[in-house]
Amino acid sequence: MLKLIAKRMGLMVVMLLGLAVITFTIANVAPGDPARLAAGPDANQAMVEQIRVERGFDRPLPVRFVLYVDQLLHGDFGSSVYTGRPVARDIAQFLPATVELVLFSISIAIVLGVPLGVIAAVRQNKPIDHAIRLLSVSGVALPMFWLGLMLQWYLALDLGLFPLGGRLGIFTDVPEPITGMISIDALLRGQFAVAGEALWHMVLPATALSFPALAAIIRVNRAEMLEVLGRDYVTNARAQGIGPWRIIAVYSLKNAILPTLAMIGLRFGWMLGGTVLVEGVFDFPGLGLYAAKAAVSSDFEPIMAVTLTLGAAFMLINLVIDLLYAVLDPRVRNQI
Amino acid sequence: MDSLLDIRNLSLVFDTFDGTYHAIDDVSLSLKPGEALGLVGETGCGKSVLTRAAFGLVPSPPARITQGSVKLDGMELLGLTDRALRQVRGRQVAMIFQDPMTYLNPVFKVGTQLVDAIRAQHGGAIDRKAAREIALDMLEKVHLPNPLRQFNSYPHELSGGMRQRILIAMALAARPKLLIADEPTTALDVTIQAQILDLMAELVDDMNLSMIMISHDLGVVAQVCSRVAVMYAGKIVEDAPIREIFETPVHPYTKGLLGALPHPFRPADDLESIPGNLPDLLDPPPGCRFAGRCTFRRPECDAPIPLAEIAPRHSVACVLRPGAVTPAVAATKDLNHA
Ligand SMILES: Nc1ncnc2c1ncn2[C@@H]1O[C@H](COP(=O)(O)OP(=O)(O)OP(=O)(O)O)[C@@H](O)[C@H]1O
Ligand SMILES: [Mg+2]
Repeated sequence: MLKLIAKRMGLMVVMLLGLAVITFTIANVAPGDPARLAAGPDANQAMVEQIRVERGFDRPLPVRFVLYVDQLLHGDFGSSVYTGRPVARDIAQFLPATVELVLFSISIAIVLGVPLGVIAAVRQNKPIDHAIRLLSVSGVALPMFWLGLMLQWYLALDLGLFPLGGRLGIFTDVPEPITGMISIDALLRGQFAVAGEALWHMVLPATALSFPALAAIIRVNRAEMLEVLGRDYVTNARAQGIGPWRIIAVYSLKNAILPTLAMIGLRFGWMLGGTVLVEGVFDFPGLGLYAAKAAVSSDFEPIMAVTLTLGAAFMLINLVIDLLYAVLDPRVRNQI
Repeated sequence: MDSLLDIRNLSLVFDTFDGTYHAIDDVSLSLKPGEALGLVGETGCGKSVLTRAAFGLVPSPPARITQGSVKLDGMELLGLTDRALRQVRGRQVAMIFQDPMTYLNPVFKVGTQLVDAIRAQHGGAIDRKAAREIALDMLEKVHLPNPLRQFNSYPHELSGGMRQRILIAMALAARPKLLIADEPTTALDVTIQAQILDLMAELVDDMNLSMIMISHDLGVVAQVCSRVAVMYAGKIVEDAPIREIFETPVHPYTKGLLGALPHPFRPADDLESIPGNLPDLLDPPPGCRFAGRCTFRRPECDAPIPLAEIAPRHSVACVLRPGAVTPAVAATKDLNHA
């Protein structure tokens, strides 16, 4: 187990390096002159050229990449050309909000998706199966940002059931940070009303963000359950007189959940990407919103840092999922 | 003596995309306490479906029982609720299956599965500890080496023979009256096959079990059973004591099966096999279902022919049987005996 973790961590470094190469290249071949951007709109050509040399923008791309990686290895993410703030501090500020939102969303998707998939399989082709299919098909068909806008429009603006956006009401004090995730910090500090308010603020963005994942989990879990319920070991369990509840919820689900788990790992990546849209719609101050702003203004170092952070998060999640896989499936466990 | 299991006029169809598939047609079969019956017939003839349908183990849909009755110890099973059937399965009727590789759940320990099954067999009336005792005891009984260790392993860590022993232990833990063994040795290699058959014969004796043993192979059946029912395309065509099946078979299909039996003094490539295929059960012929492949086919074969006794405990469904004699049939019979 430890060996697997060490191996995967090593692999992660290599993959992050690859990711850095790709992002670095794309960011630098994209139109826009970083020196001019950094110099600001009022600068004259001489000032721009001076900045170009100062910041090393005039050197060849590979050299700049090596310098950039060297900088990263010293724990320095650079700073935003616009605000001048250190990128590391920005990420520390915005990442927890996004992690909180994504964890909340994936929890919704799993907690609803797995049982719905099971129910749909057990009641195959019954009305409830069709109803659930309607839900899972619309999850595939509806674009995330559009769903977010509609939820915001009807449930927040028209009906006033939910806040329009943000992480907390403007009159509420943010609890003293521990993890930076407001709901968890508030819980840890015993401020239950604040925790509730933070969750309440996340309901609409998390609904939009989790909907496609929910749909995918339902579909995969239904198909897997159907397959597992037809397997010989289920017949044998039934022949032993084991009750349907135990056969479905324990004997079958533990087998069916394995492919679902793999899919959840992939969906995590989608969700991390989706935060760019959803955080924008709900003005949720997370990494997605930060990345969107940086991308629009071609702010190079924040873009690089966000990409690498999200990439690392995605890889970590998938490592966790692989470990879970090994916990659940003894055949996998023996191979590692 | 009264029958332990009494299946009467059972018919079952599968509603498939292509139409109604008549998998079991008007089958009657009964088993006395302590009897070991072999059920033979080529692949797809309905052996598994018949024995599973009797105990509510064929998923419906697509299956639909269209007529008949199944009585266990005088109690009607068809129409019982799933809850009531669960009391029957496991506790009174145990089943073991063909492929021990796929009948154990891969993600649970053998011990967990044994304990769960044993608790279910007792309707949850015993605790895990007592169930564990019974399980270890049964593992001992099926001569599994090192029971405690196998108890704590996962199925993929065990060989096919070991798994089959575990499945047998699981099935027999509740000391059922009836054991349905659905090709329990087909997936095993020959030496293991012999060991498992020995074990089964021993357990049937020891525990005073009645058994239905399903097989393609009359040779396997002959080792353990006293009586054989031959099935063809969803119907029973001949039912007789094992000795009579080997010595005076009547139905041409039974004879074909015997001809297809490998013989120690005959090279394997000399095996006779019965030419032709199963009839289309989406639209089965009204008469004898074997007629299309039968060398003794007569016009009468196209009318329905029921299973009828020709001697005590020997029934056949064929126009060739003594008693079902028409002059034309008598002529074929001579030919047949020549
Ligand atoms: N769920 C199902 N839907 C449709 N047809 C089915 C289904 N299950 C079984 N059948 C059909 O019923 C027939 C009898 O199947 P069964 O499994 O009883 O055969 P068998 O005699 O046990 O064969 P084998 O010796 O290969 O195990 C087969 O032709 C099969 O195609
Ligand atoms: Mg079968």
